[in-house]
Amino acid sequence: MSAPVCQEYRIEGNDYMDAGAASNNIKNTLKMLGLSSDICRRAAVVTYEAEMNLVIHAGGGTLKAVIYEDHVELYAIDEGPGIPDVGKAMTEGYTTASDAAREMGFGAGMGLPNIKKNSDEFELKTEVGKGTTIKSTIHFNK
Amino acid sequence: MRHSIKISREACQGCVNCIRVCPTEAIRIIDGEINIIAELCIDCGECMRSCSRKALGIDEDDWNKIRESSRAAVLADPVFFSQFSHYGRPEVLEDVLSQQDMNVLVDEVEDAYDLSAYASARLIARSARQSLPLISCYCPAVLRLIQSKFPEVLPRIVPVSTPLEMAADLWRMRTGSSAPITLLAPCPAKITMVHEPQGRESSPIDYGVTVRKVARSIMAAGEIVVAADAPVKTRNNRWVAWARRGGESRHVQAFADKQLTILSVSGMRNTLDVLQELELGRLRGVDFIECRICDTGCVGGVGTADSRFLANLRLKNIENTDTNWTVTPKELARAEELFAMDFWPHSKQLEARPSLPLSDNVAEAMAKLQQLKEVYAGLPHIDCGSCGRPSCQAMAEEIVRGHGSPTDCIFKLRESIATMANKIVVLSESQPHTLKRKAALHQQ
Repeated sequence: MSAPVCQEYRIEGNDYMDAGAASNNIKNTLKMLGLSSDICRRAAVVTYEAEMNLVIHAGGGTLKAVIYEDHVELYAIDEGPGIPDVGKAMTEGYTTASDAAREMGFGAGMGLPNIKKNSDEFELKTEVGKGTTIKSTIHFNK
Repeated sequence: MRHSIKISREACQGCVNCIRVCPTEAIRIIDGEINIIAELCIDCGECMRSCSRKALGIDEDDWNKIRESSRAAVLADPVFFSQFSHYGRPEVLEDVLSQQDMNVLVDEVEDAYDLSAYASARLIARSARQSLPLISCYCPAVLRLIQSKFPEVLPRIVPVSTPLEMAADLWRMRTGSSAPITLLAPCPAKITMVHEPQGRESSPIDYGVTVRKVARSIMAAGEIVVAADAPVKTRNNRWVAWARRGGESRHVQAFADKQLTILSVSGMRNTLDVLQELELGRLRGVDFIECRICDTGCVGGVGTADSRFLANLRLKNIENTDTNWTVTPKELARAEELFAMDFWPHSKQLEARPSLPLSDNVAEAMAKLQQLKEVYAGLPHIDCGSCGRPSCQAMAEEIVRGHGSPTDCIFKLRESIATMANKIVVLSESQPHTLKRKAALHQQ
């Protein structure tokens, strides 16, 4: 097994103009490894939605991709407000996004459900007032 | 892979404008000469727009030679009908072209565009919610962009030959003629479509010439007056609207049973953004996307003769005053009849053209990726293009793939020279033993 390749991005809060750049980079990196376009797309959706969550809700955070030979682990780590009701947050259509975010077409309440749907393994740790960590794993050969 | 962009090596000054605007990073400067990587080029023409020295041009067929044969079959892109200030109505221009000894295929064009719009409307209506939006394949450059950069979007492309190809198909079916057909194209992408069609084995069109070339030759002939009593056909002109952004959408809507949600997008940046949003699954609730790589639509193509702003204005006039947007029962019946025939669907699957991985073996590719990260970290990250590549990232990638060295970068080269110069200074200060004594005596 060769050493994993790690890519890390600092995401600024409320920076809607740059949002999507990190997930695009991660997708292109996976493409360079010759992974199937379906894997690349799923990783892109997961990182994009996670990136948007960092921008809209968490006031920024870190997006990280750790690429192994047979899978990729995607992390979104923030020290934002945390999620009071995880069950609700995982429901399609539920959103706490600000009006400003919704005016720009974000905050449709699909973020977390979409991340889960596109992950093979999904973990969410959150503490109100402390922050949230999401870990999504995608396997290359299933 | 054949393309329609030609390079004039004499005119090229080796500036780096074109390599930086290319959306697929297909251009390199190697040994002072510009090179287009055929596997990556999508014939969008962005490089031509950026070149101030006219070193890039459209590689088209020889119009003068085509004109030698009487009544040559000509398939004019709708854009052609927007290029003249004095032939406002498409029907009049059709007459003018006929007087100029050309056989213009307008009946077939009218039918083919109706068929294309009808087919899109039908396919949208029968698609499951999650497979919407569908996306138009009218713009060949968008199609190629999707193949190389957004392969996940491929299944959403309406699998129908382009109406220009279908018009030629119809003409061949109706006349049984195998005489060559020449397309008057507004851009290099449509000329490439003639020589290298997508979604079908071969093209029914034989030659591709720019709208600019033919429009100029007609302009040079001066204004041709059409007799007032000439029997000018009345046409629905819906197909003309396809030359500007929104025209196709309106046409598809005209054949749809219910109000559709349609996005009409034009221009490189908008195209890239909409495709990315589509790939990320952000465009829920949209039924159809009309997407053109050129700003304002096909009238913005690099192979046109007149101002895209004026052409767009003329098209708007035609669309509002000379176009019949209500499909008559007879026209609907004809579209249905053509739809029932089997010549219009794609006969060949559209294939993805993904970029080459760093290695076929994932472990090896990962080692190279790590190496790439290290090389990239040492580069200046200002994407100046002086190394002949579009970005520092592209340079790092090529070094790892074994094409190039870090000293191709002028900043790295300067660093190396500085290091070497410092070494020379240090070396010059160290003296051999025989000289050391003399120097010491001298000081006394």
